[in-house]
Amino acid sequence: MHEFWADILSFLSSERMWSVTRAIILVIVGAAIAKLVSSTLTRVAGKKMDRHRTMLLKRGSYYLILALFLISALRELGFSLSVLLGAAGILSVAIGFASQTSASNLISGLFLVAERPFSVGDIIRVGATTGEVLSIDLLSVKLRTFDNLFVRIPNESLIKSEVTTLTRFPIRRLDVKVGVAYKEDLKKVRTVLDEIADRNPLCLEEPKPLYIFQGFGESSLDIQYSVWAKRENFLDLKNSIHQEIKSALDEHGIEIPFPHRTIYTGSATTPFPIQSAENRQAD
Amino acid sequence: MTDDNHSPPSWWGNFKLDNEQSRLWQIGPLTLIVRCLSGEWQIAHEQTDNIVDSKAIWEIKNTDQLPGTLDNNSRYVFRETTGLLNISPLLADRPIVSRPHTPFYLSAGEEVTVYVSSPLWLQLAVGSSPAKELQNIAIQRLSDTWFGPSTREGELCYATTTHCRINLDDIPQRPHRAITPVFICNQADTTLAVERLNVPAPLLPLYASTTGQLWTPKITLIREKDGDMAELKIDNKPPAESKHAARLGEPRETADSSVLFRAFNAVFS
Repeated sequence: MHEFWADILSFLSSERMWSVTRAIILVIVGAAIAKLVSSTLTRVAGKKMDRHRTMLLKRGSYYLILALFLISALRELGFSLSVLLGAAGILSVAIGFASQTSASNLISGLFLVAERPFSVGDIIRVGATTGEVLSIDLLSVKLRTFDNLFVRIPNESLIKSEVTTLTRFPIRRLDVKVGVAYKEDLKKVRTVLDEIADRNPLCLEEPKPLYIFQGFGESSLDIQYSVWAKRENFLDLKNSIHQEIKSALDEHGIEIPFPHRTIYTGSATTPFPIQSAENRQAD
Repeated sequence: MTDDNHSPPSWWGNFKLDNEQSRLWQIGPLTLIVRCLSGEWQIAHEQTDNIVDSKAIWEIKNTDQLPGTLDNNSRYVFRETTGLLNISPLLADRPIVSRPHTPFYLSAGEEVTVYVSSPLWLQLAVGSSPAKELQNIAIQRLSDTWFGPSTREGELCYATTTHCRINLDDIPQRPHRAITPVFICNQADTTLAVERLNVPAPLLPLYASTTGQLWTPKITLIREKDGDMAELKIDNKPPAESKHAARLGEPRETADSSVLFRAFNAVFS
């Protein structure tokens, strides 16, 4: 027992104890300086940069300063830096093999930051998922869909696939597909559609609505009528203009047909025998 | 303050409503009902779809019609109500793009003053010192439009059509629209086709003439020699045509300077 205490006392008074203390102080001071520098940088740069870049700057500066102090602390403890770096190299190869997916996501994340196809707060569509971007992190992008679900999309799949940013430009075009019966006068249909667009206050006057005749469909003349709206009014316009087109076409007696089937027995055959249901009952 | 027996000189100003009294404003296409209750203001309004300005008159009367009968109605609740109501006219919160019914051309070196009118908004405030703002209501609901060189660059504006009248006497006096004299000068060597005119409504103050007609200061648009830039100048006095109109309201936004240089296609189109 007495020897144990003697050992402890000799360790405490040794040179080694001092280097451990110095190393601990270096780490604590390093963490404090890193915190101070990163928050100052965020405050200064926050006004000029967007939220996402500020966040990256904060994290990057914090970890860089902390790493420098950690290396100094290790040197204080007597570790040789070259050996450490060599070990880290071997370790990183091992980790790289073991975590290929994470590494790929990480690199994709860096590309996403550099390319900036969208930023936090934008609404994007990836595959079948549409939602608001909550955060762009190193490994994944987090979305909130409109039915209030939280979706995590790995950065790698964002780099590989097609991403549509819905909130990039201030105005959007709505394509309305209208089919009218073959007997209708297309000039009249066009005038009716133009009047609807003119009356709807959400529909932009300029760029002008676009009228495209799509072709002779199976049972209707197919028309595409494209109108422009302010991005925020897109859904309102979509609802109101479809309703207005339906009622205006009804009002003008323009038929919106549904698929017709004409059953023809050919010239060689005799016509179908037709019997009225009422007559049959009378029999 | 207005007395019920005498019609007020204009549709804006200060009004006093008794408890449980409803008053109706008919200004152009807008019907507005304001009801004062103890501890509550009820405001309802409706715009007729009929865009034709046939209803050029205005009228204020007491009514039994309940606010709930109109399309848009809202309630504002207070600890107590004083019955003091202030209605003031405002210009649009976005620039207004006026499209002449027939586009006109201005030859090189020519200049002209055209008169365009823009629909107004009204601001409702209640109480005194300070009055509490309740609502901004458009007298006429305007269609949105985009003004810019492409669908990526430009700004959202309101669209309206105008006759771009050159003769002041031809302009109908309408209480719900403000008239802006626009002086256009074409200093370039080519003819200027004026198909659309962008009136920066948020930068303009309002003036009221003694006849109750609202005016904005004169705007000067100069197409410069090189043709790429247009100079836009806003006077800081009422237009001469308004015959010493009194200043009624401040602009919604303040411009950095009274002379603005804009890309040519940001003013004309």
